Amino acid sequence: MKKNKSYKYIAMTILLIVGLSGCTSQQQAEEEKLNTITIGVQPSTHQVAEMIAMDKGWWDEIFSKYGITKTKDKLFPSGPPEMHAMLGGELDIAYVGAAPAISAISKGLDAKIIAAVQISGSALVLTPELADNYTGPNDLIGKKIATFPPGSIQDSVLKHWLIQNNINPDKDLRIVAMGPGDAITAIEAEQIDGVFLPAPSPSKIELDKKGKMVELSGAMWPDHACCVIVVSGKLIREYPEIVKEILDTHIRATNYIYSDTDDAKKICAKKIKLSEEVIDYSLEHWDGAWVTDPRKIVDSVLSFAKVQYDLGYIEKMPKQEDLFDMSFYNQI
Amino acid sequence: MLMNNLKKNKIQIFSILFFLFLWQIISQYLINDPLILPTVSEVIKAFFELSANIPTDIAVSLLHLSTGLFFALIVGIPIGALMGWYGNADQLFDPIIEMLRPIPPLAWIPFAIIWFGLSDYSAGYIIFIGALFPILTNTYTGFRNTSKRLVEAAKVLGCKKNIDLIRYVALPSSFPYILSGIRISIGIGWMCVVAAEMFGLDNYGLGNVGVGNMLWQYYSLHMMDRVALYMLILGVMGLLMDRLLKYAETNLLRWKKGTNIRQI
Repeated sequence: MKKNKSYKYIAMTILLIVGLSGCTSQQQAEEEKLNTITIGVQPSTHQVAEMIAMDKGWWDEIFSKYGITKTKDKLFPSGPPEMHAMLGGELDIAYVGAAPAISAISKGLDAKIIAAVQISGSALVLTPELADNYTGPNDLIGKKIATFPPGSIQDSVLKHWLIQNNINPDKDLRIVAMGPGDAITAIEAEQIDGVFLPAPSPSKIELDKKGKMVELSGAMWPDHACCVIVVSGKLIREYPEIVKEILDTHIRATNYIYSDTDDAKKICAKKIKLSEEVIDYSLEHWDGAWVTDPRKIVDSVLSFAKVQYDLGYIEKMPKQEDLFDMSFYNQI
Repeated sequence: MLMNNLKKNKIQIFSILFFLFLWQIISQYLINDPLILPTVSEVIKAFFELSANIPTDIAVSLLHLSTGLFFALIVGIPIGALMGWYGNADQLFDPIIEMLRPIPPLAWIPFAIIWFGLSDYSAGYIIFIGALFPILTNTYTGFRNTSKRLVEAAKVLGCKKNIDLIRYVALPSSFPYILSGIRISIGIGWMCVVAAEMFGLDNYGLGNVGVGNMLWQYYSLHMMDRVALYMLILGVMGLLMDRLLKYAETNLLRWKKGTNIRQI
């Protein structure tokens, strides 16, 4: 009899703990959402528009009008963990590669792409000896190349390019998943043969004389989409006026990159803690461009979705309307 | 025989079944989002989808684990024994050990890559760092706690040299501590496997395999049922190895039977 009672107490305690912890964290999240906007960003020249808007206080300017008292951004080493954080409800806005956005939205992320951020802008770097003798993709057979994790833009572009050149990315070479820091350490310590990374990492390696760029991603997949802005479904549905202002600010920041490139470089260098020399060199040697119009990247993004579907990363092929919300851009 | 075993372990079986039942109910009815918590049935489905690859993943991770554990044993036991038996050795090693011990195994990853490259020795090294200290400190405690009466009795019986006293008295009496250190090390070792396989290792030339490696791969793709599956594999492997050690403990330490309140 006494034993039965104790079992009941244990069961009730477990249910209470589970229930209460769920309620509390949900309440906390709801309350925080009303006061704070969190933006995800990566340490790359690709996403300098976000860094400018943050540095100049433009995000604060627009959000404060709606009673949002705090705007913060969080740095992520690559797109997949950034999208994982957004899936966990940690981010309201993400500057992220289109490919990780596709896999996250396909897994149920309540969010849409509202604008483009940039196209191309990654590079394949090989160790100096290999780079000097490089003639084409067949030279990569049997080599070890580090890139961002599966589901990232870099992983998708590299594998797509290899397949196009009749090279099996799973069997003919070893592709290892790494963040930018680990990949730079690994190639500089001569532990891998090459890296495929977004700017400015290839320039950092080239300036350190530990590798040379042999392929630019724009040549591997012409004008491929890269970074986009993903906004949470909650903001789109409940605060469309804020989303409109986010887009305006993004366009303003993108125009600023072209109108005052020197200042943009300084802001970027400060944010990602690299020297201005690296940023300068990177922008001289990359093939990327900052853009805003999402309509121009639709075909490329859907091609990424097809690559991910073929690689088995996503279970069904998404449609344009599953991934994009063009309504905000169409109002401009 | 089977029925006997089932009867004997009914509390443990009930505990696992209850855990799975609770997990299924919470994930299916309370959370209802496979991303936050996949259901048991989704994890079972993932198991069948990946069943062809799982043995290789486990084998590779076991090799990483055993490399680290092997070196942790051959380094940890002698140093721990020396420190526990000789005061001077204690003073010599203690500051170094206590300085290195708080450094988490993860912090060694950059050096592991530089020293051992992306080879399987890197993983072994990270696991070695994690597994070394429990073995070392437990051996030390075992030797320190060697009963004075046992040592004196051995001396009276003609066992005079330190090496003999260590071999015939201190080492056997420290054995329960050492085994317990190994058990803790195996648990920590599995934790380190996940960290060690995070960066692209050679994996004995088998490519993209390994329990920790696959866990990170599926995390990148937000396939949480597969992440949970590999987490469970880690848990089950840890449990099996712990049970194996417990079994060894029961057979190797028969002399301890009756010395504690709980029968081993």
